Amino acid sequence: MAILDFFSYSIENLRHRKLRSWLTMIGIFIGIAAVVALIGLGEGLRGAITGQFGFLGPDVLAVQASGLNFAGPPGQAVVNPLTKDLTEKIKSIPGVDIAVNRYIETGAFEFNDIQDIVFAWNVPENKERSKFEKMLNLKVSQGRLLKDGDKFKVVLGNSFTDEDRFGKPIQVGNNIIFEGKQFEVVGILEKKGSFIFDTAVIMNEDVLISEFKDDDSVNAIAIKVNDLKSIGNVKRNVEELLRKERGVKEGEEDFTVQSPESALESLDDVLFGVQLFISIIAFISLVVGGIGITNTMYTAVLERTKEIGIMKSIGARNSSIFTLFFMESGFLGFVGGLIGVAIGVALANLFAFAGRQALGSDLIKADVSLALVFGSLLFSVIVGLIAGTVPAYHASKKNPVDALRYK
Amino acid sequence: MNLELIKYALLNVRKRKLRSGLTVLSILIGVTAIYALVSFGVGLQNYVDVIAEQAGVDKIFLQARGIGAPGTDPNFFISKDDVEFVEKINGVQEISGLYMKTSEVKKDRQIKFVFGTGIDPDKWEFIEESFTAGVEKGRALKKGDIDKAVLGYNYQLENKIFRKPVSLGEKLEINGRKFEVVGFFEEIGNPQDDSNIYFTYGAIEDMFPEVKDKFGWAMVKANRNTEPRALAESIQEKLRKHKGQEEGKEDFFVQTFEDALQTFTNIITVLNGVLVLIALISVIVAAVNTTNTMYTAVLERTKEIGVMKAVGARNSSILHIYVVESGIVGLIGGIMGVLLGFAISSIGGAIAVQAGFSFLKPAFPIWLTSGSILFAFTVGAISGVLPAIRASKLRPVDALRYE
Repeated sequence: MAILDFFSYSIENLRHRKLRSWLTMIGIFIGIAAVVALIGLGEGLRGAITGQFGFLGPDVLAVQASGLNFAGPPGQAVVNPLTKDLTEKIKSIPGVDIAVNRYIETGAFEFNDIQDIVFAWNVPENKERSKFEKMLNLKVSQGRLLKDGDKFKVVLGNSFTDEDRFGKPIQVGNNIIFEGKQFEVVGILEKKGSFIFDTAVIMNEDVLISEFKDDDSVNAIAIKVNDLKSIGNVKRNVEELLRKERGVKEGEEDFTVQSPESALESLDDVLFGVQLFISIIAFISLVVGGIGITNTMYTAVLERTKEIGIMKSIGARNSSIFTLFFMESGFLGFVGGLIGVAIGVALANLFAFAGRQALGSDLIKADVSLALVFGSLLFSVIVGLIAGTVPAYHASKKNPVDALRYK
Repeated sequence: MNLELIKYALLNVRKRKLRSGLTVLSILIGVTAIYALVSFGVGLQNYVDVIAEQAGVDKIFLQARGIGAPGTDPNFFISKDDVEFVEKINGVQEISGLYMKTSEVKKDRQIKFVFGTGIDPDKWEFIEESFTAGVEKGRALKKGDIDKAVLGYNYQLENKIFRKPVSLGEKLEINGRKFEVVGFFEEIGNPQDDSNIYFTYGAIEDMFPEVKDKFGWAMVKANRNTEPRALAESIQEKLRKHKGQEEGKEDFFVQTFEDALQTFTNIITVLNGVLVLIALISVIVAAVNTTNTMYTAVLERTKEIGVMKAVGARNSSILHIYVVESGIVGLIGGIMGVLLGFAISSIGGAIAVQAGFSFLKPAFPIWLTSGSILFAFTVGAISGVLPAIRASKLRPVDALRYE
């Protein structure tokens, strides 16, 4: 028997028992659709959340004092904050391109007589300004970026132009109040898709320090290295310097020097864990679908016992009988998977769209990768094949004489 | 007749052991998942109810706005003046401000960062009442205990916070100073609260002079005859006027304990509901499987149906036979699913307690057990309706002739 004959025989049989085949495939495609939709949504959401933080290049290091990292913005829930004199010392380490103080100040923001609590951060002055703007890829959609001497002027993140936030969109030239001080808006940033930019108030470093700070603490220090290859050396040198300056022993550091990407790993791990748990629950329905295939195949074997007997008596080998049923069952899985993937992709996008409309958050995205599509298809075939193995084996082992006599 | 119907159905289920078994299996998997998930949801709700009852519904939180975890934003705080003002408001029985400072604890070269809470030693009993937890070992903090601390429950355990357990009287290095451990809190049930460290006001003000009189939040207790929600509103309004802030521009917010708890439970309920919905998908698949099995059964027994009809069985009797048969398959799946779900939840709960999440304790109320079994029976019966209708509509002549 040629491989093509196996195929046409399987399809013929499946079409013969239309209702049963359809019901079996419904079982598989519901499961596959659920898995594809949930994994797709989960991937999209995970990417969007980590994308909130992962906007810096691999050649950047962030220095932070240790504390409860997820309790607030960097440097907020720490015991012994970093100080700005460290930044000057870090600058003299070979291989460091720029080292800038990162200040993050929370405060009450007022416009159009509506108040909200937001955070402000700084842009450094002089020659560091352009390097810093390049490092963060800062661009305006309206007005201009800050320049030296811009006192009481701010650039706002894109979300301040949302109409429903402050009653009307904030525009270049408007005056706003931050912590009781009036500022003129000179620019609005491009939409970045990350709250760190989109919800920020950006001001010059000297203004932020003179108006809102009363100590030397900094929230974090950002370091950009000259050459990506030397980042490991720079990291070690910075750590050594900080240990000496802060008087702590190796292994007892009260600070971290990390590339922002590696800092993201633990957040990503948590999100992945949640996604995995949900996928496992969705996966249960696929197992149930697989049981449906086994059941259908057992019935098929039983119904066609006489047929099997005839085939064997005219010389079909056990392996041919096995292949017949094995392929039929794989086919059930494949077609079920095909329909399931199509429905799953549609559902993922539909849910993402509905979620965006309902919650107004751009975070909700569907990300159905090609790997997910093909992986699911392959998986549904495997489920079908596994589910069919035992029935096919039983079919192949039937005694021709008994099988022929079967009523 | 009814009993006979069930007997006949059971006989048929047993005759096709393999096929029935697989169908039962598919139903039981879904029921197991749902039963286990709901039992955790119910358990959590019970836990919250117990806390609400013990802490009393007369508690109100006074919190600063700001960004990040409550009490960590240095630019927003509840001042001593705020606390003293609220204390005088009609209906307030007691109020106490609490400091919140991230703290660094060191033991045998291991460093951990945890929340440090500064408590007024004169209000210790009030705080214990509000936390629904008291000092279990050792003693509470007293005025003047500047170099003494009370630790959360988990410090007594091995490999939890530190490799070695901390013992009473031990001196730990906290924020660079030596503190003597004078007491341990009893278990609260989540890793965060159970790793807290409690100081006196004096100790916090000594270590962090910059936060003196700037509390992270304050706990308020309403008078016995005062409705807490009304009191919360009155505090909100009076404090706002006292601070000269306009409505909607307050730098603080007031929430009753009950409302705060409700917000938390709502989130948990929604999350649990989503998981149950996902698990429900597998029950739908199981229902489709059952329908399939029943169609096959009808096909196989076409001749039998013909005979029954020929000797006078009515269409409705045939319908009943198949619906009951498929309902029984569901029922068996349901009972087995509940048993398996019970086992899985119990194991899962034990693991959660081990990991320090003792609030994740499953509960198995009767309504859940009976409801799950009834649900499985109903799903089975409904899955059998279409095949049963087909069976009942068979023409006796054709059915008898069927090979």
